[in-house]
Amino acid sequence: MFSISLRADSISKIYGAGLLSEGRCVFQNVSFEIRPGETFGLTGPSGEGKSTLGRVIAGIEKPTYGTVYYEDSSLSEMKKTKYMAFRRKVQIMFQDPTGAFNPRKRIGSSVFDVLKLLKIPNIEHASKTKEMLITIGLSEEVLSRYPSQLSGGQLQRLAIGRILLLEPEYIILDEPTSALDVSVQAQILHMLKNVQTEKNIGYILISHDQAVIRFMSDTCGLLESGQLRVIE
Amino acid sequence: MNQFDCTDNSCMKEAGIEGFSEKKSEGSNFEFPEETSYWIFQKHKGFQGLFNRIGVFLFILFVLMALFPSVFAPYAPEERFIPYEAPSEEHLLGTNDIGNDILSELAFGARISMTVGFMAALISTLIGTALGLCAGYFRGALDELLMGFTDVVLVIPKIPLIIVMGAFLRPSIWILISILGLLSWESTARVTRSKTLQLRGAGYVKSAQCMGFSSYHIMKSDIFPNIIHILFPKFMLATASAMISEASLSFLGLGDLSMKSWGMMLSFAFSQGGFIRDMWWWYMPPGICITLCVLSIALIGFGLEAKEGEHFKEGANTL
Amino acid sequence: MKILPRNTLLERNTLLERNTLLERNTLLERNTLLERNTLLERNTLLERNTLLERNTLLEVRDLEVSFQGMETVTVLSGISFSIKESETLALVGETGCGKSVVAHAIMNLLPPESRVKGNIEFRGKSLSEMNEKEMAKIRGREIAIIFQNPSLALNPVYSIGHQLVEPLCVHQKEKKKTALYRVALALKRMGFVNFSECMNYYPSWCSGGMNQRFLIAASTILNPALLIADEPSKGLDKKCITELEAELKNLKMESKSALLLISHDLDFVRRLADRIAVMYAGEIVELANSSSLFENPLHPYTRGLLNSLPEKGFIPIPGFSPPLNSLPSGCRFHPRCPLREKRCIRVHPEIKETGEKAVRCFLYP
Repeated sequence: MFSISLRADSISKIYGAGLLSEGRCVFQNVSFEIRPGETFGLTGPSGEGKSTLGRVIAGIEKPTYGTVYYEDSSLSEMKKTKYMAFRRKVQIMFQDPTGAFNPRKRIGSSVFDVLKLLKIPNIEHASKTKEMLITIGLSEEVLSRYPSQLSGGQLQRLAIGRILLLEPEYIILDEPTSALDVSVQAQILHMLKNVQTEKNIGYILISHDQAVIRFMSDTCGLLESGQLRVIE
Repeated sequence: MNQFDCTDNSCMKEAGIEGFSEKKSEGSNFEFPEETSYWIFQKHKGFQGLFNRIGVFLFILFVLMALFPSVFAPYAPEERFIPYEAPSEEHLLGTNDIGNDILSELAFGARISMTVGFMAALISTLIGTALGLCAGYFRGALDELLMGFTDVVLVIPKIPLIIVMGAFLRPSIWILISILGLLSWESTARVTRSKTLQLRGAGYVKSAQCMGFSSYHIMKSDIFPNIIHILFPKFMLATASAMISEASLSFLGLGDLSMKSWGMMLSFAFSQGGFIRDMWWWYMPPGICITLCVLSIALIGFGLEAKEGEHFKEGANTL
Repeated sequence: MKILPRNTLLERNTLLERNTLLERNTLLERNTLLERNTLLERNTLLERNTLLERNTLLEVRDLEVSFQGMETVTVLSGISFSIKESETLALVGETGCGKSVVAHAIMNLLPPESRVKGNIEFRGKSLSEMNEKEMAKIRGREIAIIFQNPSLALNPVYSIGHQLVEPLCVHQKEKKKTALYRVALALKRMGFVNFSECMNYYPSWCSGGMNQRFLIAASTILNPALLIADEPSKGLDKKCITELEAELKNLKMESKSALLLISHDLDFVRRLADRIAVMYAGEIVELANSSSLFENPLHPYTRGLLNSLPEKGFIPIPGFSPPLNSLPSGCRFHPRCPLREKRCIRVHPEIKETGEKAVRCFLYP
């Protein structure tokens, strides 16, 4: 049966495994599934491999055992064209908003680079960008700024906005608000919810803050000592 | 920021549309951000600023001399007058053994000396940057290979090699340029590599990789602009060192006889008895010119490096 | 005849020694953080009653700091507060509202391009008029500061013990041996059971939380009258934060030093501070007792801030805090304020004290 989902099937990640050493097991036999429009919250103590799990699902790192399935095809066996499509459809957003943009480039040119990558004709750039800025609630003024002239909250919004230009189906949010102030955190969380209902995007939200997870997610997983416990 | 954003969805849209119409009413077409400028001079205070300005002034003077020698030179370089003449009103810096006007020679020699310096520095910077970027960005086996190669190049002694080459080939400035350029890129490559290694862990490089940008695009638009501030002073200092190498090789008699650079002038002054007869107007000017030109380039280079340091500090503060 | 008593003496001695050893061990064991806390709560309760009678330790009046660059940016304006002896005052606010600048201004650590107006008095002496030599005496001995990033504040090439001994040797001209002894004691107080081993550790061997504790030990070893903690909880995970909290509480109880806590973490501040000053865009908008601020916030910004906490359901304040180089006219919060009136847009409100509270808003006369 064909299903539109992103699925992890009993994946494990072990670092430094070789002939002689067993290596350090980060997580073992982790399975879960996520569909567009849903939020899967991933929490657990720090240093237990939440971020690593996120990167494995995003396809940046390969799992030691097990497979990640995207629309029923295994990541490791994907053809190049399909993989490029996957690369667009599954995006990852990192914790530190200040590092997300090239400090020597204006925000605008960072954003237009993405549009050029998508081979969108130049005429549409302006309208696409405007549309994106409306979604994330920023004015056009920011495009002519450098990243250092913007606040963390604004940069995090822009980071989400730039990802949205790629029209992804899933976004892996790796601690999206832990570098932000409480009031900005609330703004970003609300914005993420709005974007989700508008564009039907599936989130995997990684956070150490239980309150954030509870607020955002439909299902929630606790990653503790290498095992994932799924809580509805 | 005069525009509010309400996180309530409808409100947010409203605000956005407001901004949209505002822009439209201005009638301007969406301003595309201009390219980042790499012009990095800055008004320093005190001694450093003074030195910087002196450096820039001298450098511009020498570049003008190299570009338009006829403006500075009163006569053509091969025109002959009475030899061994002391400075006078007619010949401001006197004449040499075959009666060439030294000021004219000096002006025309600037072009050759500076060509050698800049071409060699350009070659070495290009090679060093390309290799350093590739090694740092791709890491792994390629990195090992390239850095191994760099180490091999590092141990090749430059001057002896040029002497050997000069003995076998007809000495010409092109050979000089290519040897100086091809053998002096290792420090640029190392610096570029280490900086690239540092940058490839940065958030924006990682997110560009995740968004599916090609490696070439990431290197070109994300990493290169962030290392150019290191490369430019490196380039300037490489120019200075190439000019010195050229002068010393020419002095040793390994220069191109048809291209009379400052180093060649010194060499002639030495071999044709300028030193013995104590004709200071013959051997001093080329020496002073070399020193001043190298000094000006080095001053600019140091100024740029200091600027880069400051930039780094600023960056650290904003973090 | 003479031998017997000697034996008994010896026995007694060994017994005594054993006893003391045992006691010490049990003390060590008892020295767990939780138990200390119960002790501490009792003490703080006692202390709170006497809060009003205590002397003012640090007084900041109309502090104004501006940085001169391409354009002059006024980072802080009209900052006034005072800290009494062994009191904890917290400065709360968003990133970029100038919290850390306050700490740096008190320590006289601002960069040369800054201009400071106003008065900072420590025990009746003005700090801003002191020269560098006098200031150096006060820094570390009277006022200590804990910086944001524990792994950056410690030098990676020296062992912990070496780094902690240094201030003692410099400030109090102690001999190395006695200094080492005092450092060991301080580490023990910080709850390290294996304190003698810890002295030989290097910063990179330890976790962020441990390094943070070393830093606290380092800055409290001289028993400063005032300890400034600049975002001590930043970059630490939950577990480390609870540890840190226990440490700071402990410290307040044991060494009776005053604490100026700078943080954006409201939960953290709530559990530690006696009084809280809320900062917005370079000025204090509300200053009140910890409990009354959380139960009955007056300024609209404080309310908004508290509403965006997880317990209240992440209700955000609309808009962004203004950059310090282009502040709005009138009340600095008016563009985001749900209760703004016409005068808020034109007139800049002054901070007004009503009872124990001080608010910068027209709604509260």
